[in-house]
Amino acid sequence: MLLARAAFAAGDVVPPEVVSRVEASVPTDAPPPTQDHVLLEFTVTAEGKATDVLVVESAGRAWDQASIDALLKWQFKPATHEGIAVDARTRLSFNMPAALMPKPEPVPDAGPLEPLLESDGGAAFVTPVLPAGPSITVGGAPDAGHPVHDFSTTVLGRGQPRSRGASDFNIEVGALQAVPRKSAADFLKLAPGILLTNEGGEGHPDRIFLRGFDAREGQDLELTVDGVPINDSGNLHGNGYSDMNFIIPELVENLRVLEGPLDPRQGNYAVAGSADYQLGLPERGIHVRGSYGSFDTMRLVGLWGPSGESSRTFGGVQLFRTSGFGQNREAQNAKLAAQYEGALSDTTSFRVGAMGYAATYKSAGVLRADDVANGTVGFYDSVDSRQGGDSLRAQVHFDLHGHSGNFAHDQTLFFLFRSSRMLENFTGFLRDVQLAQQNPHEQRGDLFDRNTSTFTAGARGSARWRTRLFERNQDLEIGYFGRFDVVRGVQTRLLAGSNIPYLRDLDLDSKLADIGLFADLNFSPAWWLTVRGGVRGEFLTYDVLDLCAQKEVRRPSATNPPGDESCLSQRDLGQFRDPTERNTTSGGAFMPRASVLVGPFAGITLTGGLGTGIRSIDPQFITENLKTPFASIFAWEGGATWQHHGDAWEANVRAVVFGTRVDKDLVFSAQDGRGLIGGATSRFGALAAARLRTDFLDVSGNVTWVQSKFDDTGLLVPYVPDFVARLDAGAFHDLPWLKPLGAPIRGRAGLGVTYVGRRALPFGQRSDVIFVVDLSAELAWKQFSLGLSATNLFDTQYRQVELNYASDFHTSGSLPSLVPARHFAAGAPRAFLLTIGVHFGGES
Amino acid sequence: MKRALLPLVLLLGACVQTTGGEVVSFTAKASGDPAVVTGAPLTFTTPSGFDVTLTRARLAVGAVYLNQQNPQNYSLETSCIQEGIYSGEVRGSVLIDALSPTAVDFPVAGNGTTAPTRAAELWLTGGDVFADTDSTVVLDVAGTATGAMGSFPFEGQFTISSNRVIPPRNPALPGSNPLCRQRIVSPIAFDTALTQGAMVTLLVDPRAWFAAVDFSGLTKVSDVPLLYRFTDDQSSSAQPDKALFNALRSAVGPYRFELTP
Repeated sequence: MLLARAAFAAGDVVPPEVVSRVEASVPTDAPPPTQDHVLLEFTVTAEGKATDVLVVESAGRAWDQASIDALLKWQFKPATHEGIAVDARTRLSFNMPAALMPKPEPVPDAGPLEPLLESDGGAAFVTPVLPAGPSITVGGAPDAGHPVHDFSTTVLGRGQPRSRGASDFNIEVGALQAVPRKSAADFLKLAPGILLTNEGGEGHPDRIFLRGFDAREGQDLELTVDGVPINDSGNLHGNGYSDMNFIIPELVENLRVLEGPLDPRQGNYAVAGSADYQLGLPERGIHVRGSYGSFDTMRLVGLWGPSGESSRTFGGVQLFRTSGFGQNREAQNAKLAAQYEGALSDTTSFRVGAMGYAATYKSAGVLRADDVANGTVGFYDSVDSRQGGDSLRAQVHFDLHGHSGNFAHDQTLFFLFRSSRMLENFTGFLRDVQLAQQNPHEQRGDLFDRNTSTFTAGARGSARWRTRLFERNQDLEIGYFGRFDVVRGVQTRLLAGSNIPYLRDLDLDSKLADIGLFADLNFSPAWWLTVRGGVRGEFLTYDVLDLCAQKEVRRPSATNPPGDESCLSQRDLGQFRDPTERNTTSGGAFMPRASVLVGPFAGITLTGGLGTGIRSIDPQFITENLKTPFASIFAWEGGATWQHHGDAWEANVRAVVFGTRVDKDLVFSAQDGRGLIGGATSRFGALAAARLRTDFLDVSGNVTWVQSKFDDTGLLVPYVPDFVARLDAGAFHDLPWLKPLGAPIRGRAGLGVTYVGRRALPFGQRSDVIFVVDLSAELAWKQFSLGLSATNLFDTQYRQVELNYASDFHTSGSLPSLVPARHFAAGAPRAFLLTIGVHFGGES
Repeated sequence: MKRALLPLVLLLGACVQTTGGEVVSFTAKASGDPAVVTGAPLTFTTPSGFDVTLTRARLAVGAVYLNQQNPQNYSLETSCIQEGIYSGEVRGSVLIDALSPTAVDFPVAGNGTTAPTRAAELWLTGGDVFADTDSTVVLDVAGTATGAMGSFPFEGQFTISSNRVIPPRNPALPGSNPLCRQRIVSPIAFDTALTQGAMVTLLVDPRAWFAAVDFSGLTKVSDVPLLYRFTDDQSSSAQPDKALFNALRSAVGPYRFELTP
């Protein structure tokens, strides 16, 4: 715990304050206190509640409990960092009545203490010593005869990067944890304009649409978990493919979504923006939750957070299985996550953690709408039962944070192993071209079998220097990011009805490097004006060995024909060549980014920002001699934010208009089952978002409208929704009429509503509207909890994915269908999940 | 008021935006050439001087596909499906009496897009274009041809089955000339754009089938009555057999498409 005196900067970090207090009651029939005080250490949450109470110095069990009971009723104004409420660890002494003490010692009551505060500005320890207000006496007037303890506060967590404007969403999950969510990816919907769809099943990553971008499985969205990359570089399904299923949802404590490339810290893939999951477990103790529900779905979660440690010290395991809501949808997975956060010294803290994930799943894939309409297949059926996949992730990371005076630094090291296999069939029997060199064959089936294995090592870090200018804090941060990926990707096609590969489409052995360097300035010449921004340089290299570079020979040798093999070792007329071919390339980009914040005036802050970003190109396109290894984006935005922090409620309302332009956009190709490079596109849109929090309610809502067009034709970009609205609400309160055994029953309810307008589809088509309501309710008493959630409450039969392209699944006769037709992937029907939880130790 | 309506107007403007093109359905019909008279034999003279009286001319069409672009030439020899080039399809078979100007409907409606159509394909199959065997009689003709060498009452029935397999000219290219290609007549010029509810009509002119046929080379199968017959086999070296089969598969001459919006 750090108690160094403040060197600077009270402006950014504000310690918690007592709003209301409740005096402890003298326990009846209790033996006299063993000492003159009870010293408690606890966390003041961002909601202003005391949790995770630890008795540091005891005066006896009954006295300890009386003190704890009283403390849990206190209301605090939470500590804030740059105006954002953060958890803070605090100590408080309950002093015993002098009359009960064997030998009371008169000691002068402590007056207000000199506030001590230390902050490193961006992400830090904060160690204020609060005024002595909380020092009270149990059962009566303040007693003057006992020692007074420091009310020291330590914030171990890394602070949030400074806001880049109205499109920078620092989302504390809080009570919205009650809203039913299937995966950690669902938390993204707390940010405006995000739609998640999934045509691949429970283990398949969600496809992300954000503000007019079809980010596919993360290709246009930089995703990280506590700074560790989630995007897979070089994945054959798409460069930047992101599988967030390894995150245990209960461990998501915060989420920062920055829509647009506005922060120099954002790196590769931050085209539509970035999202950083911050894991934590606010509740201490051991939690075990078991769930069972519709479609034979079972989920077992074990979480633990040692008392006395920060919320960033935790462990968690999840086991999951389901038979799925229709044909070919069974899935199972296991996840684990563990992290320890501690202090090496007064000025240095660290985190070390590991995560693991393994999943196997089946996928129903897409159906033709006409097949469903004429009864050939059912709405929740599948036309190729071989679809599905496997996924594996192992991760270790080490994070170091230190500060000294006006200097602070962060370092993160990470090592990842990823493996994914995905079997998908979008087109049935259309893509098997007969080559002259091959023996005559029919269409053998279009089931892609994509396998990618990646080993990643990387680091990121930054150093911040703070000074005073214009009587305000000014910061300069220099940072770096580097990742090195060794990727092996193989794509084959499997013979219909079997697992026999008949064709090798791709076989790439890639070595990729991405090194970024940034400088970020926080300049605030006046209280009402702040300019934040800088420049980022990104250098990308590719070394791609194509192990299947020769697939066709136009003029084969008559005496030594190549035959049916996919990867050939001869050229025209039988000339030998090695089947491999190496391609290397590199490129760099400099990306200026800046934001201006003006205000607040009556709680309103006006913001504006612009920046450029990049997305690197798939290694397979490098083999096709595409020289430029990235696509570029330019983005701008203007917005306004209104914030209110009151005793009874808090509110945050914002509105943004934005525009983006991408020179090489990704457009989904169903024939390839992935995004392919298309032309330049531009977007213009607007959003509004609001969040209201009271002591029993937490409501978040947002609406986004955006128009995405191709620059050359002015036509709409297909598949992206132009209107998305989302409402999340959590309510929590003790039930007033029930108190079995003197313990209250705590009630919690969650509501999630999603509305997605009719999405543009190819050939002038529009999808159906999506409107889904999810609901949950939970009762908790003492260590036990019982919850029930219902997803898709109204059992709407909806199409979460709709596509328009040609396919032939042999479902309508022997004549192939070759023109575009409507396809869809069914959204899940109504599902119930009953959850029983037990909580041992700690406090909740 | 105008200012208040502006966002609404912009929103409505957004609503009518499109990704380009439309999906359409259309009807499809087929008939003989309008010049023929119902119920009467068709009489004509071929370029090589034969006076032909055609009493029977039936064509079995398995399906019609429309192309946005002409198939790539190099793959014409190998690929029967060229993904991405199709703008329309009528997936149903019809038996066309080429001696009747009365159009018959295809049993199913056509589907397609408003993308420009450049060409059409006739699939002469009873169903599966990839099948190794197909007993469907795709062409059934009969009549009498009279020339300097005499009179040649004839008949012919063509199938496209294993009898039409073309061995690869180059053993290193076993996949060239697959049987499915024998069943596809392509590219038939058809420069148009489909519209919703339009009617596509296939017009078959049987005269073009016989334009290059030297009837004197036909195989006699009977003296009484006198009858000649086209041989239904790819291996036949007789000129009439090759000429008629080639004409059956010719994209220029016998077939014409019309669009009625």
